[in-house]
Amino acid sequence: MVSLVLILVASLFFTGIVIRTKSLASGRKGSGIFQPMKDIFKQFRKGSVYSSTTSFIFQIAPSFYFASVLMAILAIPLGKYPGLISFQGDFVLFAYLLAFGKFFMIISALDTGSSFEGMGASRESLFSMLVEPAFFIVMGSFALLTGETSFHEIFSTLHYGSNISYLLGGLATFVFIMIAMIENSRMPIDDPKTHLELTMVHEAMILDNSGFDLGLILHTTNMKFAMYGAIISNFFIGDLASMYTIPIFFAVQIGFAITVGLIESFMACFRMGHNPQFIFILTSVSLLIFFGVLLLLERFV
Amino acid sequence: MTDILLIMFAMTLLYMSIANRLLTYIRILVFQGFLLFGVTFLELSHINVTNLVLILLETVVFKALAVPLFLNRVIKHNGITRVAEPFLPNFVSLIIITLIIVITIVLSNSIKDINLDKTFFVVALSTLFTGLYIISTRRKIITHVMGYLVIENGVFILSLAVGNEMPMLVNLGIMLDIFASVLILGVFFNKIGDVLNDPDVNQLRNLKD
Repeated sequence: MVSLVLILVASLFFTGIVIRTKSLASGRKGSGIFQPMKDIFKQFRKGSVYSSTTSFIFQIAPSFYFASVLMAILAIPLGKYPGLISFQGDFVLFAYLLAFGKFFMIISALDTGSSFEGMGASRESLFSMLVEPAFFIVMGSFALLTGETSFHEIFSTLHYGSNISYLLGGLATFVFIMIAMIENSRMPIDDPKTHLELTMVHEAMILDNSGFDLGLILHTTNMKFAMYGAIISNFFIGDLASMYTIPIFFAVQIGFAITVGLIESFMACFRMGHNPQFIFILTSVSLLIFFGVLLLLERFV
Repeated sequence: MTDILLIMFAMTLLYMSIANRLLTYIRILVFQGFLLFGVTFLELSHINVTNLVLILLETVVFKALAVPLFLNRVIKHNGITRVAEPFLPNFVSLIIITLIIVITIVLSNSIKDINLDKTFFVVALSTLFTGLYIISTRRKIITHVMGYLVIENGVFILSLAVGNEMPMLVNLGIMLDIFASVLILGVFFNKIGDVLNDPDVNQLRNLKD
């Protein structure tokens, strides 16, 4: 319950901080932190326009996407407080809830019949497919390390004892930051500011959405960012008391947002053909995490 | 602590597999030199001081400074294009190097010997194979030299694992280093880039007696 409220609060200002960092880094003053939320509320007040070639899938997909991410957030714990859904192996449910939402976005993009949207959907599904092994290997390694199989138990029994476990924590943080960047189609993979349909990934999929649906999709991106920020903050929290966990949570969220902003300001977007190899390196790094866990457990003698 | 440095070393191999520019390769070699310096400093605590100082100086001066700077000069001097131009796409390289690491982990797991330090063994073996892979899939002579340098880093790691018992082996590793420098000198003085104009080893296939 605590984590749900905190993630929803963090999702309100996350993208604002990213945009503010980008404008400060490029020497502009920038808009307020809540400007993206104001834009989304403006979208919520509008009506949607549906193309006559689309079917009901196009109309329900944004709500499904939003609901799937909200449901995935329910599984995220915060320190010693479990999420609303917590059972053995809940990280598998988490991954496939996200995949479920993405599946609906992909078929709704195909439903519009636009050639650009099909292309964006194809790219998005390729990138998510390459990300998935990295996520499972990292979570599986930590499950092996702690001997538990749910998010709450993995994170609350995670202790950093030796040097090598700090390395594992650092690498896992890196992998999760990159997963968040890829899942949200941010800078090194995809430029959210691009106006050319041929270079878009996520933006190409939502070209035809408007009004309330577009607002839902935009806010889902914010929630996904805050959700990954919550997972990253869990790597640092352990089982501390709540008076420490909540400041650490917000510090990690703000730090993560600033990192995203800095990456977007100082890195150029990759060429589309270079993206798969970049994403696959996350799997390789997570294999090294697995190797480190084997070393720590001395299974590897 | 040495485990951390060695895992970082394995990560540099992955990065090397997707690097595009020759400059990136050189930077990775510099970084590997510094990592090896750290490993040497932490690992070889039981050998005599002069030998240790010699080995440490060698790792910093040769591996991390002299050879990369010299490679950089060779690239500039010979007018070699800046892109590595592999035969295979980088994505395939990355998968193959990941497979190499996984296979060496599985291989070393099957060896039941308590005297063997597994981390050193895995990283050294995968570095050796990565070097071989880089040599066999890159098009330019200069990248072959770089692949050779990677192999030699692998040999150095393997010798460090037993460095406390047999310091002689580490010194032999240093000899390899000096040999590599001579190899690069050969490329430099023969001006292979200028003479052949296009330093593409593919064209050597046309040679017949």
